[in-house]
Amino acid sequence: MNSNWRREVEAVFRKEWQTEMRSQSGLVTGLLFSVVTVYAISFASLNASMTSTVVSGMLWVALLFSTSASLPRTFLAEEELGTADLLRLTGRPHAIFWGKSLFNCFQSVITGTILSTLYLGFTGKAIAVPWLFAVSLVAGCLSLAGAVTLCGAIASQASNRAVLSAAIAVPLLLPLVSLGVSAVRVSLGLHVKHEDVGTLADGIGAAIGLVGYAGATLATGPWIFAAVWKS
Amino acid sequence: MGVATVWSFFVPDAESFQKPGMARIFLWHFPCPMLAVFLLIYGAWCSFRIFQRVRLVPFEFGLESDHEEKVKWDLRSVASMELGYLFCLLTMATGILFSEIQWGAWWSWDPRQTSFLIVLLIYAAYFALRFAYPDSGKRAAYSGAYSLATIVPALFLFFVFPRLPYIKSLSLHPTDSILTGQIKGQYAWAVILILTLTTILTVYLFKMRVRVGLLEFELEKDNGQLENLGINSPPTGVVRPVRLPKPD
Repeated sequence: MNSNWRREVEAVFRKEWQTEMRSQSGLVTGLLFSVVTVYAISFASLNASMTSTVVSGMLWVALLFSTSASLPRTFLAEEELGTADLLRLTGRPHAIFWGKSLFNCFQSVITGTILSTLYLGFTGKAIAVPWLFAVSLVAGCLSLAGAVTLCGAIASQASNRAVLSAAIAVPLLLPLVSLGVSAVRVSLGLHVKHEDVGTLADGIGAAIGLVGYAGATLATGPWIFAAVWKS
Repeated sequence: MGVATVWSFFVPDAESFQKPGMARIFLWHFPCPMLAVFLLIYGAWCSFRIFQRVRLVPFEFGLESDHEEKVKWDLRSVASMELGYLFCLLTMATGILFSEIQWGAWWSWDPRQTSFLIVLLIYAAYFALRFAYPDSGKRAAYSGAYSLATIVPALFLFFVFPRLPYIKSLSLHPTDSILTGQIKGQYAWAVILILTLTTILTVYLFKMRVRVGLLEFELEKDNGQLENLGINSPPTGVVRPVRLPKPD
């Protein structure tokens, strides 16, 4: 990797980190959303036995809305604070996208880990295949971060940007959610009696799909972003 | 088209359906998703061409011809997305009717139905994004970017998701009906004929839409020139009255 390019990415990441540490809005919003969602689901399903399919579906829906509510802020805040033009002048588009994506990946993995720990703790569901669960969660969080960052950038200059960024991100992420549910369902319910969650091969296939989705999003994202960033 | 419609009522029933006598809507259902997929891909290709122009010359400072070229690709992109959206709606409508007759429920959460609903949402999000940008240059660039970003998930929903082994086992929807010989003989020929005719109609509508868009652009451009000359120039550039030439 070119050292100048790496320095630019690091600078954008550091800037995001410092901004987050100053306001703590993104992480707090994501975590608050996660806790409230977990509590709401647990409260609504009190004393009900939840199957692995329902648990994994709820987990991914919570993850989807938590990330689409908090992650687009990295670009929206630049436009709201009026710093986007300065960023356009000083940084290369690819480095900006990578810096912000990496920060969002970091934030998304933290939120995903805390959310899933809380959620599984509240529902009392055991993990049957931990490595598959971990791979699915990390790959899913990376995909979510890559796609939501791009949607945040695409909607950043629109008038109703906050709502629009979530509205355009959700249809884009629904295939990812279906893959995530397929993989996590297997990781939770494999070998559990009276539960048809598919085979381990199905789960591995879905996890590979998630990794591919993360790769595709993070590989094409900078290119698409570079085309629109200075237009 | 009329002859094909009449003929479609006389071809023998396809026995592979649950209720073969009531499955004739399939003849009109089949071309809709095919064209919706093709138009989505073509729309993304046109968006890609817009970005090729952007990379060569920045939009605001480009030469007149570059600007026009970009407008043309944007018009092609939006025309294919509009027609694609129309075919998506027709797919859903005919599919829901088919579902009620063949499977006994208007909406049975079949993976094919569900995945197509997501594609419909993707199309709707594209238009929501387009409406959010009043500036034509930004509208073209940002909606084009979204069109490109959605192509991989949309293709996944069309081609991969319904064929995943676990998903396929849950689905009632027929897959690869013609290729696997589930539909054959006169019925298959009727399907192919209606697909061909619908494609020709789509090409005609596409060309008309692009032509209308170009005429609007030309009119707007002429109006801008009038404004530069001080003729018919209101104080704002946002809403401009257009003076059409008087007929001789």
